[in-house]
Amino acid sequence: MSVQGLKFLNMKETKPKNIFIQGSVQPGFIADSIQKHSTKTNIGGHSIFLGQVRNDLIGEQRVKAIEYTSYEEMALEKMHEIRESIFKKYDLTCMHVYHSLGLVPAGEISLFVFTSSAHRKAAIDACEETVEKIKSELPVWGKEIFEDESYQWKENK
Amino acid sequence: MPVKIITFGRIKDITGSGDIFFDGAADTNQLIRQLHERYPALANTLYIVAVDKEIISGNTGLSGENTVALLPPYSGG
Repeated sequence: MSVQGLKFLNMKETKPKNIFIQGSVQPGFIADSIQKHSTKTNIGGHSIFLGQVRNDLIGEQRVKAIEYTSYEEMALEKMHEIRESIFKKYDLTCMHVYHSLGLVPAGEISLFVFTSSAHRKAAIDACEETVEKIKSELPVWGKEIFEDESYQWKENK
Repeated sequence: MPVKIITFGRIKDITGSGDIFFDGAADTNQLIRQLHERYPALANTLYIVAVDKEIISGNTGLSGENTVALLPPYSGG
């Protein structure tokens, strides 16, 4: 195996790393993350999912922001398991996941999932499956804050 | 040593912020019964239970060094 191959193999065995960032995911951060992959010339396709806070109208009230909280320790362990299962199933070069904690105003990004592979299909399928698993398996809660500061707890559909 | 109970999301609205400590619950069934006595609104709220970050599917013994988490349905992303 080439040195480069070994390097990428090692990346698959990373320890639980922090996925949480305070507040929204900034577009500039996403752009930088894309830029960093230009040195990984064995990649042929990236797939990116960006979750954005929607200003839902619930009754007469409009959602102005979502405040996220998490059982962080458990979430990071769970994310590590998800990551391992995705790397086992798909031939990925790398995967990056960022989720917001705290307040994210409507129109801003709260979830950033970024998968890369030699060919597009693995990247696209892995990205989709990772997003679904994050939604259903990560202990994270969204509190929908209305314009008058009242709130309700979000429910994933 | 008392069992530590941590709550999240809408469950925290019921129990208040701050961690809860309970003495004398031998297993999760006993603990949950006691919690429901202290916080009657829990009975009408959906949640799953994790002991030391592992979701449990049935009654689980407690040693007194456990952290029990009450987890309402997830809504991340």
